[in-house]
Amino acid sequence: MTPPASGTRHVVAVLLAAAAGGYWLASGYYGKELLAETAITAILAMSLSLLVGQAGLVSLGHAAFFGIGAYALAGFGARLGWPPALAMAAAVATGAVAALLVGLVAVRLAGVFFIMITLAAGEMAHAWFLKDRLFGGVGGMAGVPRLDLSAIGIDTGDPASFALLALGVAILVYLLLDRLVLSPFGQTLRAIHQNEERARALGCPVGRYKLAAFVVAGAVAALAGTLAAQRSAFVSPELLTWTLSGEVLIVVIVGGGASLLGVSAAAALWIGLRHQLSTLTDHWMLAMGAIFVVLVLVAGDGIDGAVRGLWRRLAQRRGP
Amino acid sequence: MVIQLLNGMQLAMLLFLLSVGLSVVFGLMRFVNLAHGTLFMLGAFVGLSTVEATGSFWWALVAGTLASAIVGGLLYLGLLRRLQAESPLKQVLVTFGLIFIGLEAARIIWGDYAERLPGPALLAGSTALFGVVYPTYRLFVIGLGLAVAAMLYFGLERTRVGAIIRAGVDDRTMTAALGIDIGRVFFVVFVLGCALAGLAGVVAGPVLSVYAGMDMGVLVLSLVVVVIGGPGSLKGAFVGAILVGMVETFGQVWLPEVAGMLLYGLMAAVLALRPQGLLPAGPRP
Repeated sequence: MTPPASGTRHVVAVLLAAAAGGYWLASGYYGKELLAETAITAILAMSLSLLVGQAGLVSLGHAAFFGIGAYALAGFGARLGWPPALAMAAAVATGAVAALLVGLVAVRLAGVFFIMITLAAGEMAHAWFLKDRLFGGVGGMAGVPRLDLSAIGIDTGDPASFALLALGVAILVYLLLDRLVLSPFGQTLRAIHQNEERARALGCPVGRYKLAAFVVAGAVAALAGTLAAQRSAFVSPELLTWTLSGEVLIVVIVGGGASLLGVSAAAALWIGLRHQLSTLTDHWMLAMGAIFVVLVLVAGDGIDGAVRGLWRRLAQRRGP
Repeated sequence: MVIQLLNGMQLAMLLFLLSVGLSVVFGLMRFVNLAHGTLFMLGAFVGLSTVEATGSFWWALVAGTLASAIVGGLLYLGLLRRLQAESPLKQVLVTFGLIFIGLEAARIIWGDYAERLPGPALLAGSTALFGVVYPTYRLFVIGLGLAVAAMLYFGLERTRVGAIIRAGVDDRTMTAALGIDIGRVFFVVFVLGCALAGLAGVVAGPVLSVYAGMDMGVLVLSLVVVVIGGPGSLKGAFVGAILVGMVETFGQVWLPEVAGMLLYGLMAAVLALRPQGLLPAGPRP
């Protein structure tokens, strides 16, 4: 909940970007794929961080907007043949509209109800794409075009260039959301999170602020989805599953909830861990569920304090 | 038309068995057990294994119900009870983590394939009713749902335990102050809800197929039932289940393209008009 206002975050941001750049130089083909996946996950996690960390709205259906962004890009770019850049913009707008439709219902309800509605809406979106015929139903649809940057001499078809593109978008999203978090808008969200009644008594239109946060988060998640669709040139209902929503929530909790850089670093950690786990066992989701439960159990006051709580407990055990 | 009505009613009764536990637990403890669908799946799988071992659907019914009740009871004592004093949000998120664990555990134990639980021989075949021929087993599902609803209604409205539960839903602090061990009431209601989820799982086995991942679809439907029916109330769960069952069934038949949206629209409309649900329980604090 505390605003990441100190200047040191700029140093951390540069260090993170430098680490990503260094990894890009050192890694091979597979590493570039991992890097692109990390950047996409970081964007998605940062968008959820705006909801969970700033506004205190725990959404269990965030993958829906990610998937809707991906499908919208497939629709506008592949089905309608729009230029990829325009299709991407339209996909982000579609994500925002979808978030508006869900948010109009969800933000009226607090706490546990908000969780129930977002989970239900997310799964309904998932079921929708499982059944639909336009995008190939369960099997999904291939042939999603990538952004054409040949005008400035970049071939996005090359994995190395695409990883850089995804990284660049992640940095842009960070800069944008960082501004938003520190703006009066972000401060109001934190005030609502701290004490909703007080914010309301001060005359703040609480519902409208929450809805705005929900729509922005949905649009950014859709942006991440357009990158994911471009990365694999493929969309399928897998993109909207509740398991992905859960994964992103884990990333946000591990990253400290409100810290954009924290959740980005956690995204890198998570992608690395998941690839390790999935090479070891087919049943890595078991480990994931256990991690989720433990994280929630050790969390202090809000779930965004999970890692701090864990450190505190470890320190107490070691201390006198 | 009559067939679709019966189909809708059958789905509604399954949803009622599932969501009544969710709803009353929410009314008492202010939290939603997202692993409720997982217990439904557990009931179905244990029922499947029991049928394979004993050949009897009725033993499966008993075993599936007991298994879900026992696992639910252990979860409550080992995990959820400790979180009761903290925040409902944490309880809900812990049960979300349990869905992952339950899904993978089911895949490890029972594999990845969908199977159909054979129904009882006694109820095989069809019955003529209202001018149509309808599978007898599905009529049994409707009858069972109605019977459980009647029993729960009687239990809640006419017995001492029911009065204590209703008092707990209305004001748990006051109930505890009257010298009632509210923790024990929580436990009993939670386990009963889990048992009904397991029962629903076995009963659904011959109608839906049994596979790892069957839990999410029904969980979402029962969450919608709880939200639109009004949490905490038996009548709310009953009315909500019928609404959702009918909208889902007729939506799939008449407007298959937008059936998913229809359900969301129903939920949005109910919440816009009555944010507390159609038939919420008792006075709210």
